[in-house]
Amino acid sequence: MIELDVLSAADVAAAGRPAAWRSREDRTGAADYAAAFRRGEFLPGAADGDDLAADTGTSRRTFLKLMGASMAMAGLTGCRRPVEEILPYARKPEEVLEGVSSYYATAMPMGGVVHALLVQSHEGRPTKVEGNPEHPVSRGATNVFAQASILNLYDPDRSRRIWRRGGGTATWADFVRTVQQAGGGAPPAAPAAADTAATAAPTVTATGGLANAGLAVLAEPTSSPTVERLRRVLEGRGARWITWHPGGDDPAALAGVGRPLYRFSQARVIVSFDADFLGDDANSVWNSREFAASRRADDGAPMSRFYAVESAVTTTGGAADHWKHLRATDVAHFAAAVGQALGVGTGSPGAARYASDPFFQALVEDVRAGGGAAVFAAGPTQPPAVHALCAALNGRYGGGAVSYLSTGAAPEPPVGVALQQLVADMQGGRVQALVMIGTNPVYELPAGLGFTEALGRVPLSIHLGLHRDETARRCTWHLPRQHYLEQWGDGRAYDGTLSVLQPLIAPLYPDSRSEIELLALLATGQDRAGYDLVRETMGATGPGNEDAWRTALHDGFVADTAFPAGGAGGGAAVDLSRLPVLGEDDVEIVFRTCPKVYDGAFANNAWMQELPEPVTKLVWDNVAMMSRHTAERLGVRTVLEDGKHWADTIRLALNGGEATLPVWVQPGHPDGSISVTLGYGREIESDRERRGRGLAARLFDKDTNHYREGPIANGVGANVAPLRRLSTMAVDAVRADAIGRVDGGYLLASTQDHGSMEDRAPVRIGTLEEYRAHPDFAKGADRYIGETPWEVFPPLWGEENSASEDPRIGGAMYSDNQWGMTIDLNACTGCNACVIACQSENNVQIVGKDQVARGREMHWLRMDRYYVGGTADDPEQMVMQPMFCVHCENAPCESVCPVYATSHSPDGINEMTYNRCIGTRYCSNNCPYKVRRFNFYNWSRELPAEVQMAQNPNVTVRFRGVMEKCTYCVQRVRRVQQYAHIENRPIRDGEVQTACQQACASGAIVFGNLADASARVAQLKRNPRSYELLGELATKPRTSFLARLRNPNPRLAPATEADPPPQPTGTREPTHS
Amino acid sequence: MATPTTLAPATDGVYKTLEDDPLVRGNLSFHDVTEMVAVHTEKRTPAAWLFWFAVALGGLSILGLSIAYLVWNGVGVWGLNVPVGWAFDITNFVFWVGIGHAGTLISAILFLFRQRWRTSINRAAEAMTLFAVACALIFPTFHVGRVWVVYWMLPIPNQMNMWPQFKSPLLWDVFAVSIYGTVSLIFWYVGLIPDLGTLRDRAAQVGRTTRAKIMGFFSLGWTGSNRHWRHYERAYLILAALSTPLVLSVHSVVSFDFAVSIVPGWHTTIFPPYFVAGAIFSGFAMVMTLMIVARRVYGLENLITVDHLEKMNIVILVTGTIVGFAYITEFFIAWYSGVIYEQFAFRNRAFGPYAWAYWIMMTCNLISPQVFWVKRFRRSIRISFILSIVVNIGMWFERFVIIVTSLHRDYLPSSWDYFVPTIWDFGMLIGSFGLFFTLFLLFLRFIPMVAIAEVKGVLPQADPHFYDGHHGDGAGEGEGFSLHRPGPSGVPYRADEGDDKR
Repeated sequence: MIELDVLSAADVAAAGRPAAWRSREDRTGAADYAAAFRRGEFLPGAADGDDLAADTGTSRRTFLKLMGASMAMAGLTGCRRPVEEILPYARKPEEVLEGVSSYYATAMPMGGVVHALLVQSHEGRPTKVEGNPEHPVSRGATNVFAQASILNLYDPDRSRRIWRRGGGTATWADFVRTVQQAGGGAPPAAPAAADTAATAAPTVTATGGLANAGLAVLAEPTSSPTVERLRRVLEGRGARWITWHPGGDDPAALAGVGRPLYRFSQARVIVSFDADFLGDDANSVWNSREFAASRRADDGAPMSRFYAVESAVTTTGGAADHWKHLRATDVAHFAAAVGQALGVGTGSPGAARYASDPFFQALVEDVRAGGGAAVFAAGPTQPPAVHALCAALNGRYGGGAVSYLSTGAAPEPPVGVALQQLVADMQGGRVQALVMIGTNPVYELPAGLGFTEALGRVPLSIHLGLHRDETARRCTWHLPRQHYLEQWGDGRAYDGTLSVLQPLIAPLYPDSRSEIELLALLATGQDRAGYDLVRETMGATGPGNEDAWRTALHDGFVADTAFPAGGAGGGAAVDLSRLPVLGEDDVEIVFRTCPKVYDGAFANNAWMQELPEPVTKLVWDNVAMMSRHTAERLGVRTVLEDGKHWADTIRLALNGGEATLPVWVQPGHPDGSISVTLGYGREIESDRERRGRGLAARLFDKDTNHYREGPIANGVGANVAPLRRLSTMAVDAVRADAIGRVDGGYLLASTQDHGSMEDRAPVRIGTLEEYRAHPDFAKGADRYIGETPWEVFPPLWGEENSASEDPRIGGAMYSDNQWGMTIDLNACTGCNACVIACQSENNVQIVGKDQVARGREMHWLRMDRYYVGGTADDPEQMVMQPMFCVHCENAPCESVCPVYATSHSPDGINEMTYNRCIGTRYCSNNCPYKVRRFNFYNWSRELPAEVQMAQNPNVTVRFRGVMEKCTYCVQRVRRVQQYAHIENRPIRDGEVQTACQQACASGAIVFGNLADASARVAQLKRNPRSYELLGELATKPRTSFLARLRNPNPRLAPATEADPPPQPTGTREPTHS
Repeated sequence: MATPTTLAPATDGVYKTLEDDPLVRGNLSFHDVTEMVAVHTEKRTPAAWLFWFAVALGGLSILGLSIAYLVWNGVGVWGLNVPVGWAFDITNFVFWVGIGHAGTLISAILFLFRQRWRTSINRAAEAMTLFAVACALIFPTFHVGRVWVVYWMLPIPNQMNMWPQFKSPLLWDVFAVSIYGTVSLIFWYVGLIPDLGTLRDRAAQVGRTTRAKIMGFFSLGWTGSNRHWRHYERAYLILAALSTPLVLSVHSVVSFDFAVSIVPGWHTTIFPPYFVAGAIFSGFAMVMTLMIVARRVYGLENLITVDHLEKMNIVILVTGTIVGFAYITEFFIAWYSGVIYEQFAFRNRAFGPYAWAYWIMMTCNLISPQVFWVKRFRRSIRISFILSIVVNIGMWFERFVIIVTSLHRDYLPSSWDYFVPTIWDFGMLIGSFGLFFTLFLLFLRFIPMVAIAEVKGVLPQADPHFYDGHHGDGAGEGEGFSLHRPGPSGVPYRADEGDDKR
């Protein structure tokens, strides 16, 4: 505090003028003031001096110094970089608090169902997708696609404008006029005026739309009641509506058995006939939760036994107790044999050969044994008859664990028939207008259909899609579609629960429209807002009044609107005698949607392209997956050399289509079969402005901008969709000699080269029997420590160096909570949702195929996959292990950092200080888990502006040269801590959820406060299955794992033991012999 | 023991009373020694020197380009990945630091042990040390992700209250190497002072005043007085004593980078002695390479004799065998420990994807030096030269094997990967040799490459009893004029051809 003496009584007195005084003491010269004055020559403040200056707080000289320095420094500020102002809201919206995110409920439509979501929004910008915790299907979890869908919103290559063939860009008004003219009806009012809800007088029954017999709609499957309503209007006027899903027909729907809803938690035996119910299933979230519940063997709870018969290698098969690999066609025969043995179905021509198969015998015996429900599931590769068989089996043995929902949808004929008719009509000029909603038929339809040529003959073709894709460019009109986070809509979840889609952000591109807006225009000639259309529908079928509507928006769904369980064909004789038989020499080709890019909808999503495929761990490619035996037969191979996979490529030519694909030899894949995935080989056209590079940059800059070359989907993989047969889209066969090797040396980038656990046991596995006898079997694998407490082996740096143990930090902020995590390997299926959730939450950048091949992927959370038992070509099991920073108490990374960039927080989190990191990489070298990720380049330097919007503002976007890794989502921890602090209460258990935990459908990841003995995480740490990965290193990790359990059929167990597995399953023999 | 053939002709039998084996041949006088060495810094620049200097500068520019590209783009220009966070960078660092060991070992430890044969080679070896340390420092500096803040590793008080972490072996490296570099520089410079004085006086005699002034500046007013000599020798002795522990400590500390970690294959208590032995091994090999060329080119065969080379070869044989013993001990310990990770690490070294590197290392470092058991081979110039290069290749691979094979497959098989170098990795490696030879060529051109004063000290004449009855002759030789009886005049400095023919 600077206080200057204004008056000096002495000066004044000396001058002979009347003395001015300011206090009684001053005037009387009493007390300290006078004493102080007497001590020195100068008045207080007039000169430097300890005691004098103390009187006034500062001296004149100090004052001058301060002022001088202030002036100088004020001048110096001019040398700084200009400050970029952040503009505040001119008019602040209600309920928006800068820096505090809000959540809105909505739903993501995909594959004919919606996934109920809760989306995080920062100042009106959605950044993170979560499941809706109240929703009966989601229960707060999501699948991997929902997690990645946020990046689709910010896809910089999204279509931005309306395109008219020949005429370049056009406006929505142009389009409205075109439709109204084509419709022939009297155009109502001015189209522009119809834009607002106020003029929404006409209902959808009004005439004036485009509908007549010449109109055809080729639409993606949808569960939207509004779409359904508009469809009925169109169909009522003679329009034709074809629902097309790139995966082909839904065989369950063709079988007419209804939509199966599996309650695995009630099952004792689970049988899958090529059903990837934990992976590419519309209900995978529900299934994962239910399946995990059926495997929870703790505290004497029963555990299901899962038999998987698969034509590919999927995460579902990896979770099985017994895993059998057959060609998809043979799976059907196997199912028929099972049905026959269990008294359901007729048997098939190929069924007899399984009679002596021990797997078959064990399965049948197990189902027959009774004592609980047996659940049968069939996958999309299986013909409708097998689905009918499963329905019958479930009816007899399911014990109510499977219900078949009646969706109320009218049964549809096989799509192949309808498409053939459509194309014939298009060629014959009988289709005046073709509308494609969310479909990309030029890319997706079989080449043999001749759709592309026929499209040219349709006078008015309208495409509504997120991208100007293969189809869009060949249509007379392309309309940009709104992302689901920008639109109003509605839809039903897998179980039928009705949800309302509400936009979280105004459409990024004003010309974009939602499908219901387009359909309304087509049906009525009216340009109406999506909101009104949805309200209108809800008035008829759902929450009509304002209160109910608001409740639906708030909750994200309308309670008690699930589909009723209809009857399944229980016990009825299913005719399987006409199942096709595949010759032993034929090579079967199985087409599947990709677990990463789905049908291509996620192909331009960089996260999904760089997501390691759950089984192969490949990125940025699709492959022809086959067994070693088949590869040898075809004379092709994949070699691992210099840490990179070099594959031969083969040409597949069938049904008029052709594709060249690299070969991937997959352990466990059935012989005589090739699995391929859809969704690659895209050709998207983008309007995005791309910055070129100058000569200097091209010479000296290492280009790390993956968006530079245009849409990232382009040039990745090959499109196999045209190769399909119209009748059976999922499966086809070809003679082996028709497949030719094209070339060698194709680089495949995989994030995991080594699939064996070697002689270690990162994943500890025990059988149920073993677990019951020795609940702590997992601890036996701590081979160097065993029963010895690890404290006997002192760490190099003592405990006192650990912040959480440091008594001096005892009372520090945050130290009340000691964070920790458990990962239940018995529940984890490796679905990858956590990987993308982490990427989305923590701004993890992508690095591109070349860099992944060099081993520089940035995923904080990696999903390790190991093969266990069996032979190198036919493993017995496949296990998944999510690996990310385990936050060691004695972290090897911390002690080697020369600059303290990584350190321990008082609440036990191993923290990275990016600003402090200089990038020696020593921490990564010394991390036994190798979970640290280094920014070898500046991956985020040239992110397009749209992608920048997808970044979480609560997490630093890292610069090149710094190390990064899992933080236990510290930003989420701190947010909850702030709320708890404001409310002056401790943090509740489960209140902090990490991003990976929140996404996990099977509840494998549990995070919480270890200091609270009642917290779930603390309880799980006491679970006998709990073990610390590499605990023998005395790193004392905060994340521990729960050992995986198997429940093998004792009948089959000896057979596997006779063939000793190359890798031990993690049990220590001496302890439990 | 010397054989009669290796002895220079003993004219009057006095040699035998001094020592059996003369350290300098050709019966040189003090003046001869001065001439032999000093003339190379004084004559016109030879064309051959210019040529090789241009070549070295080419290498240096590769280094500059590599560093510029690295700093501009990031560490990703190298072939590193996540399990292999260090590869060529730290390999090169340890390699050069190791080479930097021989100089100070020769200067300090051999000095303290009164190994008088060191005098002919210590100057060049020390220079080599300094240049090798300079090369070494490039790598830890530029291998970091954010080189512009690399000074955060230094304990500089700052307004952010940031302080380096003293638990980290990387920080120990900073101290160990910088102290070693500093002390070595001072030691080298102090040793240079009498010779700089000589050069100054020689320049002044022929009227090259500018040169005399420069040399005068650097010779710190050296007059060669008794008082100067006494101070000088005391200082030299103290510095030698200071340097001696550094020789042992610096590579021990460098080895802690690995030994302190928990990486299987790194976490090994044998590392400090094994690294020091390896460093001496490679350092001597490098001195050998350089000296064999220098003595031939500059006609110093009489100063740097085959006896010197043989002694160095014995050191190479001993240290190489120690290193090889350490390699085998590591295998034994891995087996004996019962730790599967250790066992795997060493199995993987010998038979894994980098087995080729391992067997190059074994061949070069353990097997090849064993030829020096044979006296004929260790006195052969040609074999010495080839082997000295082989040894350094082997020692580079030793560091590569330790660093890369340990990192590329550690605890969790899921994270295993492979390291493939890029051209920028090679650019840095080649470029560092460019820097080294640039500096070394400058040294050869401008600085007496042999310690003139010290060599004179081991000449027979330096012994007061050399010429019986001529006490004092040869002791305390002044500059520019000689008090002692000149040697055989008119005899050109020539190689002792009998030796070189081997």
